[in-house]
Amino acid sequence: MRLQSIKHGDPALAVRGITKRFPGVVANDQIDFEIRAGEIHAILGENGAGKTTLMNILFGLYQPDEGEIYIGGEKVNFRSPLDAINLGIGMVHQNRKLVPAHTVIENIILGHPRAGKILNLKRTEEEIREVSDKYGFRIDLRAKVWQLSEGEKQAVEILKALYRGAEVLILDEPTSALAPPETERLLASIEAMARDELAIVPFITHKLPLVLAISDRVTVLRHGKVTARLETESATEASLAQNMVGREVIFRMERTRVEKGEPVLQVENLSALGEKGYQVLKGISFAVCEGEIFGIAGVSGNGQQELAEVLAGLRKAEAGNVTLDGQDITYHSSLERWQMGIGYIPSERNDVGSIGELSLVENVTMNYHFDGDFSRRGIVDYRRIRRLTEELIAEYGVATPGPDIPAKSLSGGNLQRLILARVISRKPRLVIANLPTQGLDVGAIEFVRNKLLEAKKEKAAILLISGDIDEALSLSDWVAPIYEGEFMDIIPGEAAKREDVGAMMAGLKLKAGQQ
Amino acid sequence: MKIGGYELTLEKRVTLTGWEAAAISILAIVFALALFGIIFVQAGVNPLTGYNEIFSYAFANQFGLPLTINRFIFLLLCTYAFIIPYRAGLWNIGMSGQLYAGALSAFAVLVAFGAKESRNVELSPGVVIPLMMVAAAAGGAATGAIAGFLKGRFDTNEIVVTMMVNFITFWLVSHMIKEGGPFMNPGGRGESFELPTSVYAPLIADIPFTIFVALGLAVLLYFMFAKTKIGYQIKAYGLSPPAARYAGISLFKMPLMVFIMGGLIAGLAGYHMFAAVPGVYKIARNYGYFGDLSFYGIICGLIAQGNPLAAIPIALLFGGLSSGGRFVQGKLQIGFGVDLALMGVLMITLVAFQFFFRHRIVLASAEKEELDAGVLR
Repeated sequence: MRLQSIKHGDPALAVRGITKRFPGVVANDQIDFEIRAGEIHAILGENGAGKTTLMNILFGLYQPDEGEIYIGGEKVNFRSPLDAINLGIGMVHQNRKLVPAHTVIENIILGHPRAGKILNLKRTEEEIREVSDKYGFRIDLRAKVWQLSEGEKQAVEILKALYRGAEVLILDEPTSALAPPETERLLASIEAMARDELAIVPFITHKLPLVLAISDRVTVLRHGKVTARLETESATEASLAQNMVGREVIFRMERTRVEKGEPVLQVENLSALGEKGYQVLKGISFAVCEGEIFGIAGVSGNGQQELAEVLAGLRKAEAGNVTLDGQDITYHSSLERWQMGIGYIPSERNDVGSIGELSLVENVTMNYHFDGDFSRRGIVDYRRIRRLTEELIAEYGVATPGPDIPAKSLSGGNLQRLILARVISRKPRLVIANLPTQGLDVGAIEFVRNKLLEAKKEKAAILLISGDIDEALSLSDWVAPIYEGEFMDIIPGEAAKREDVGAMMAGLKLKAGQQ
Repeated sequence: MKIGGYELTLEKRVTLTGWEAAAISILAIVFALALFGIIFVQAGVNPLTGYNEIFSYAFANQFGLPLTINRFIFLLLCTYAFIIPYRAGLWNIGMSGQLYAGALSAFAVLVAFGAKESRNVELSPGVVIPLMMVAAAAGGAATGAIAGFLKGRFDTNEIVVTMMVNFITFWLVSHMIKEGGPFMNPGGRGESFELPTSVYAPLIADIPFTIFVALGLAVLLYFMFAKTKIGYQIKAYGLSPPAARYAGISLFKMPLMVFIMGGLIAGLAGYHMFAAVPGVYKIARNYGYFGDLSFYGIICGLIAQGNPLAAIPIALLFGGLSSGGRFVQGKLQIGFGVDLALMGVLMITLVAFQFFFRHRIVLASAEKEELDAGVLR
């Protein structure tokens, strides 16, 4: 079915009462929305709001438990992505699904029904070029995909969908991997496509200014439900943030009062480059004192990961300096930082924080092989580390049959307990906790938070990086919302308002006086 | 698959004990020998006669056994040259280049002592033999370091680098020993000058002392991986470089170090083969054969799963097959290289049987299949 005679404003895609349950969660709960031809309709929601599930349903990867999908007013049933593609849905994934060694044209025709039969490459190229020029994509069609930038790869995915006859284009986090000039270009292309009566559905996590800049309407999701349907004209960043984050506080922790001590970590004007070579940390300055939790609240991808890595000695600082207890450590290696009393709890529990094939004893050794008390003259005292591991397992309640099982057999929560135990048992001066409760169940979350508060009582300085506003607000003595590599403000924890911090996490600038 | 009232299913192994691994390896060897029996039949030889000849020559013959042991020492050293980088997650395909470099360095020491002209030069073995060994180790280590440095500094693929270096050193040896080359034999012949009799490696019961080097390394490496900090760091780096980096382990030093250690041991294999094995005592014209043989170190290392002690019986088996295979080929007048063909079949079979290191076949009564489902993840 092709929708050849679309008029502006016709419903292109509609869903009614979509519900999808996974064990223990309702990922999508009675979701309704409608997308019209020629409309740019943003779907907005935090991580875990159900965006990905909805996207996968629209693309035929999941079947909804309840509810219906309509295309051009007719009810449809997607059994696979192929059905969705054939009915005019085009999907542009955040993780590009292209063959790097093939040319742009080869990628575009891959899977096309006409490919495989006799192919008129020259005509195909002309057709693709026509579409490409029309929407302002500047791509060398004969280039190999690996040679392209992220923005160009994305354009290839869009072209591929268009060439397959997409009427509805779903864009997953369309600007997340793009450099600013590429973002500008993409927005211009999106507008051009909308003028041609394509329906465009960008799924966006947190970039509110982007939503306001490009969309006609917005549907906001929270905890799997639609919380708002807004005409963009009548929306503001503040109203979007409120709908997206909600007001209720899920988790309240007692902020323990500890007498403030000497500054432990001081960071001045710190800048760093990200994986792609763009500047992701733009001149950050702050200080953390003994017995203080400094919370950085931010949507992932705003430079906080890089900040943690620079402080842990795993990434080079481009400019600025870092001092620990008054000593400049800007150029110290990660080994030296461990020995000087920095303890890093990485966000990547499985890939960085632990080694799955090694036993729990050997995983504890990760933070002790360089310690003179546990490793003398090149020989590791495994008996002693084993005893320590047994103590930590008991104290931190790690559920395991014993210290010799491989770490990969632990659940996420238990693994995090072990990592936390290993780091905190070193009695570090500074604990860097990067998303310490991400993906954990409620019990483990509470445990981790309590242990951080205990470390605070022991006079450690704690840098908490969190994507969860409630966590950052309830634990921190200072809250710094981070957006695109900069702190929007540094607010005393008690004075911080949830709405303000949420808005600042989304890039909204508030004057200090407005709070 | 159903057979009668029983159901054959494939399950993922969660753990593998050393004994299970050994049992699977022995099964694989038996299977490979049976498979090669077909080739014997094709060649008009009774397989039992063939194997009897091979094994009795390799392990129970006064000429064959020393040959077997010399090859065993060589293979074991090559295996260790492979195992150390392998435990760090890196593939050393450059044992042949490293052992050539080791042999050249050892012979360079002889040149320095003026031993090139005649094999009757009187040299002090207590000085020259250790010097030759140190030189061989250093030459091998320096050659290995190329791949380790490039890996650590530029993340260059170590397989490609070690392989390319093999070609370079192969032709370097050829250049050095050809007529007119710096290490040429006075009589020409395209091989190197011969070792002076005064610095022949000491023999113990006709076996070169290098066997103690090889067996000593077995213990040393086992201890290194089980107890030492460096062994821990190699294992951590091998299993997860990002996690190792997080733990303060240098991603530059690790590859460099394991390739230096591996190259060092391969260099000693070069010393052993060309300066310690009775009857050789020179870089022979067919030095390329030993380069090829060194690749069986990879197979031994893989079968041993990187365990230095488990490598000993495996290297012994391959050493025996290579000497016995050569012998039977001549004795029974078989028209192809039995040693290499047999080791090849064994190698493919053993690699294929590694499947059972990760899976097991379970025979269960078909009725209780539902009960068992979901026990293993």
